[in-house]
Amino acid sequence: MSKNFFEIEDVDFNVGGKTKVKNVSFSIENEGDVICLLGPSGIGKTTILRTIAGLEKINKGSIKLNGKLISSKKINIEPEDRNVSLAFQDNSLFPHYTVEKNILLGAERNKEKNGKKISLKEIVDLLDIFHILNKYPHEISAGEAQRASLARSLITQPDLLLLDEPLSNVDQSFKEEIQVRLKKILNQLKITTIIVTHDSYEAFYLGSKCGIILNQELKQFDDPYKVYHFPNSIEVVNFLNRGILIPAKVTGKNTLENWDLGTIEGNFIKEYPKGANVQLLLQPEDLEHDDTSNLKLEVVDRKFRGTNFIYTLKTPSNTLIPVFVHSHHIHQHEVDEKFGIKRPIHIDHIVCF
Amino acid sequence: MKINFWYIISFIISFFVIIPILTVFSSFFENTSNYYQVLKDTFLLEYIFNSLILLLSVLILTFLIGTGSAYLVSFFEFPFSNFFKWALILSFAVPPYIYAYSLTAFFENYGTAYTILKNLFGEANYNQNIPKFDGLFGVILSISFSLYAYVYILARASFLYQPQNLIDLGKNLGFSKFKTLYSIILPAARPAIVAGLSLVAMETLAEFGAVDFFSINTLTTGIYNSWIAFDDLAFANQLSFFLLLFIFALFILENLSRKKARYHMNSRGGFKQKQKIKLSGGKSLMAFTFCFLVFFLSFLFPLSQMMYWTIKFPENLFDLEIINLLINTLYLVVLSSLVLIIFALISNYGNRVTKDKTLNILSTLSISGYAIPGVILAVAFITFIAWFDESVIKTYGFLSIKKVFIGSILGLVIVYFIRFYSLAYNGIKSGYEKINISVDESSYLLGYSKRKTFMNIHIPFLRNSLLFVLILISLEIIRELPITLILRPFNFETFATTAYISASEDLLEAAAVPSLFLILIATSFILVTSKYILRDQNE
Repeated sequence: MSKNFFEIEDVDFNVGGKTKVKNVSFSIENEGDVICLLGPSGIGKTTILRTIAGLEKINKGSIKLNGKLISSKKINIEPEDRNVSLAFQDNSLFPHYTVEKNILLGAERNKEKNGKKISLKEIVDLLDIFHILNKYPHEISAGEAQRASLARSLITQPDLLLLDEPLSNVDQSFKEEIQVRLKKILNQLKITTIIVTHDSYEAFYLGSKCGIILNQELKQFDDPYKVYHFPNSIEVVNFLNRGILIPAKVTGKNTLENWDLGTIEGNFIKEYPKGANVQLLLQPEDLEHDDTSNLKLEVVDRKFRGTNFIYTLKTPSNTLIPVFVHSHHIHQHEVDEKFGIKRPIHIDHIVCF
Repeated sequence: MKINFWYIISFIISFFVIIPILTVFSSFFENTSNYYQVLKDTFLLEYIFNSLILLLSVLILTFLIGTGSAYLVSFFEFPFSNFFKWALILSFAVPPYIYAYSLTAFFENYGTAYTILKNLFGEANYNQNIPKFDGLFGVILSISFSLYAYVYILARASFLYQPQNLIDLGKNLGFSKFKTLYSIILPAARPAIVAGLSLVAMETLAEFGAVDFFSINTLTTGIYNSWIAFDDLAFANQLSFFLLLFIFALFILENLSRKKARYHMNSRGGFKQKQKIKLSGGKSLMAFTFCFLVFFLSFLFPLSQMMYWTIKFPENLFDLEIINLLINTLYLVVLSSLVLIIFALISNYGNRVTKDKTLNILSTLSISGYAIPGVILAVAFITFIAWFDESVIKTYGFLSIKKVFIGSILGLVIVYFIRFYSLAYNGIKSGYEKINISVDESSYLLGYSKRKTFMNIHIPFLRNSLLFVLILISLEIIRELPITLILRPFNFETFATTAYISASEDLLEAAAVPSLFLILIATSFILVTSKYILRDQNE
């Protein structure tokens, strides 16, 4: 028998008779783990959550929660009998009740969990919604409604919490603070959670594992660090928008050669035979700036990102390469100027396809 | 699809209501008498012509009165504009046939108009100078002044919820008030206005009391005659089927003309109170005069006429068993409204949770009962019961069930149910459409069962809609005439039937007392609940 707390095995996720995501398998090992699903809009992330919640049915595979089969072709436990809570992306508060009453409706189901029961006050403080408790849903902003909806889901202390883009309407200035608080309370209460988002930074921060959904498939399901540094396909690279792929030839156990950049050394995460032609993933932080270097490329664009600049450089073969430079670096380069790259080029993890 | 309690009960309700429509349709497979030939050679064209003229005139008049007054009270401030806002719905309390009695009473030879002139200017031959509002023109006026409130209420609700931005946009583009009205406000309110007009159209084609009183030959009269004079129910049904087709054709045409235009916007900003324009001088006087005239003609005029006669002929007041009539009327209203609300609510919920296409089609068809004239429904019901009694009950040796259903309260309630199910179903449906489906899903995810979601989430949310529908149905039942006349138990009279019987015996003075009581009860219903009818949450 499987020891995983939550398990999806070979499931096709459908909505309205149309398959959105195929052959999905992943698991959450321990109770209290938080995982994130990332993917572009309309790819079927919400369908996955709705299916796990019991609002959509499956024709293939199985979904198990706490050792119990909750969905399969033959079995579909009703949503109200699953103890799975879903906070919708859009405002799904009961319009005829105040925010407080909405949250308290969730509290009716609240059972003591792992020796701790969360109170209304704790949840209100956590999400900073005291000022809207007596208001009706139509009297509050979209971001406040989202926080109220999140509060209602959290207070139920479900076996599995599903959050659909939980902070998409929350102001940027407030978002990071809420993320920190959310992570803390999920940890404290040991609430197993699946978060759907299109914000990779949110996913990397909140999730102990991240799944990338692209082209109707779960492409990668791994630790955020691995997803970020060791993407397993060109599609994942493109989706995360983490760099560019340049042609290179493997010249040794730890080296490869690019026509524009010369020799590049580092540790291959996968072995390739000497002489193999590969596509090397070059990320902005892989190259270092050096004014004294003889490898000079032309600046075609410069983006200021607060803590850093991203320079876009043009190689002799007209490839555009992004390079990360701390914004404290005194010598700023203008467009059309030459920009030096430190040699020899060393990349910690060499990712090739 | 999962067949559960909600599916089965919704299916039964919808199927039950659809039976008369099937009966009407099945008439095409039955033989008709030679009434068809007689009618074709004589009056059929006249019936069709009269029905068309009646329908078109009423639609134009109710559109002008209903939309015009709704526009004035929604967008402008003028003396008594807040009073007119709810006073203009009082016309609901006056059924077309009572309006017809009032018109006749006032303008007939030696009528109230004559008395007024005589008292003012002394004895003279005023009769030839007093205009006569009878015949087709009288019917048009009676129906229009009684039913324009449908258009008024729906148009006003739509105007009220039009975003202020839309109006500001018109100003920004340099539009005049008139151009803003016809190019922005009216098109945006089109679905609401059409919905109001469709109710008016169905009521007009099914109208019995006023048409009968003024002896106008319409398709409804044809239907009635083919049953009464020729005992030809099949042909009566065929005629009503054509009536139905005619109404559907009108609205399909309207729907097609909309193409892909949308008439609502998704707004996250919620309700924003409109800034009313303050009128002054001549414009203010014109707006006031228009609204006052509509209020006077539709409500004050018939009310005062009936009051005048009640005071002038007080003996009629004592001849009637008022308490008895009141109990009978209220008994029918309360019983029928409750049955309708409960079943329409269950059926709506069943449709929502099962999301089944067959059920949806069945429900859509079942609501067309409103378009079938009450006369036809009553007759079809009697025919069905008689057939069932003869061919099923008696065959198996059971006791006859005729008495249980015909000439009984049960029969009356059943036919009211079929007739007004559309109002109840659609009224509740429009309330339900405001509840996003994710609200239900959230409720399930909070551990609420379907029944608990229905009781704890939906019913509190729908409270205002339910009250609104309850009042609408109550008003319809208080005013209803043909079904009550045909199916009521022996010696069981309501204010409506008493008024009709007196009027048909040419005792208009005697009809005044029950008419007055009918108006007063309906008015009190409207006044108590006007804030729900107007759906004016911010006022």
